Amino acid sequence: MGFARFVGFSVVRAWQGFWRNAMMSLAATATVILMLVLLAALFIVIAGLNSGLEFVESKVGVTAELQDGLSETRVEGLVAEIEAIPGVSTVDYISPQEALTRLKAVFAERGEELDFGGADIRLQATLEIGLTEPEFARDVSLALTDRPVVTRITTRQQEVDTLVGVINVIRTVGIGAVGLVGLTVLFMIINTIRIAVYSRAREIEIMRLVGASDSFIRWPFILEGILCGLIGALVTVALVTAVWEPIQPVMVAVFQMPTAVSREFLATLALLLFAVGLGVGAVGSWISVRSYLGATS
Amino acid sequence: MTSLLRRSRRQQPVDAPVISLTDVWMTYPNGKVALADISVEIPSADFVFLVGPSGAGKSTFIRLLIREQLPTSGRVRVAGRDLLRMRRGQVPDLRRRIGIVFQDFRLLPSKTVYENVAFALEVTGAPRPMVRERVPMLLNLVGLHEHAHHLPTQLSGGEQQRAAIARALVHDPPILIADEPTGNLDPVTSWDIIQLLIQINQLGTTVLMATHNQEIVNAMRRRVLALENGHLVRDEAVASYERRY
Repeated sequence: MGFARFVGFSVVRAWQGFWRNAMMSLAATATVILMLVLLAALFIVIAGLNSGLEFVESKVGVTAELQDGLSETRVEGLVAEIEAIPGVSTVDYISPQEALTRLKAVFAERGEELDFGGADIRLQATLEIGLTEPEFARDVSLALTDRPVVTRITTRQQEVDTLVGVINVIRTVGIGAVGLVGLTVLFMIINTIRIAVYSRAREIEIMRLVGASDSFIRWPFILEGILCGLIGALVTVALVTAVWEPIQPVMVAVFQMPTAVSREFLATLALLLFAVGLGVGAVGSWISVRSYLGATS
Repeated sequence: MTSLLRRSRRQQPVDAPVISLTDVWMTYPNGKVALADISVEIPSADFVFLVGPSGAGKSTFIRLLIREQLPTSGRVRVAGRDLLRMRRGQVPDLRRRIGIVFQDFRLLPSKTVYENVAFALEVTGAPRPMVRERVPMLLNLVGLHEHAHHLPTQLSGGEQQRAAIARALVHDPPILIADEPTGNLDPVTSWDIIQLLIQINQLGTTVLMATHNQEIVNAMRRRVLALENGHLVRDEAVASYERRY
């Protein structure tokens, strides 16, 4: 009963305090929204790029083009040797005929017909080598380079390296930007609550004189900061939900990210936004109130 | 109307001092001695004046009693509690046992008289039925029941001080400290406030009143503690206010 009264008292006074100092409170809430929108954008882009990376990595393999005219026995021997290389999971022989069939299929998918103009085109036979992990691409390529029957080696490792580089840059810049905005928000909330505390210095003095405990003095202000974070998080989640429909197809098409359409992704993002919003609000106001009460106790 | 005040007074041992200072020294970091070797005992239900010129140490004396400051050395006991051994978390409980009023009233201007008094109960977690019972009772006691829903700015100085006294009594404290309560009031209104303090004292509350008002001290003929440069220069059971103050 006593605790319920304490909670009720603190919530009511936090709400009154928020609106009494409306301009500052709304300014602080706006900065919370700015920070959370940046955080949401960063979270979405990083999640998309990670998903894209996984997709590319799953396609990473090594393709070895072979000399013409290799006997079946020679090919079988070569396949067995390559299968023994560490990191190799599968080795598929693609005959020139099969390569031609694939090429025709690709053209057919586009609604075109493959036409060599009557020329007798013969495609090269290849070995498509699957890897247990994408990191083995370089080692497997090196192991194949000395073989005279292999005329050319291609791999998508470079694409993976480029993508990893891009993700790292975006992640570093993004975390730095969110961190800077987060610090700004923290100072905004500290300042807002400090102004609220100073504007109610007389009230606080009276509360102390009549025997109010520190909790009764402190918590309304902390809740006021949390309220800035909560309103900021609510607005941001509403914004993200509103733009979610147009974003989904982009996520799927650009980043090859089927998980983007799941509600789980949105729920995780909302949870993150609430946690960061409430956390920054609580920490900012706690620092502010603690420094004031500590200085005047 | 005053039954609650009377009832709690009976719970206090009558002869035990409610305020006791023993060998108290208070020196500020700049070296200024605010209180020097003060030893005083104030029994329960006493009415005591604290007099002295500005800077004599009256405010420091009061701040020690409500534990806004701790002495440099010595011992301070208030309402049965040793203030030096008290933990920070116990201070609110001490302050509920001391009512305090000031020269400038310190009412919240945006709250009505009723709300100002109720506020002092609400911020200590008092249940609503208790607020509804005690606030009208106290406003009756100080003669402000008809002004309950007025803002402080709609009241005279004397009425504002009455509201402040009602607020000081919300927790039914055994001690009431009045720091220059008539300092902002005209002579007639000052006597009104003094009459009210006497009435409260007669109900069993110990009253300590810091004042510069020579006329009131001389007329009341109560115990007087006189401070000068931090020293207790007089402690007389029935005394008059020396002219130089």
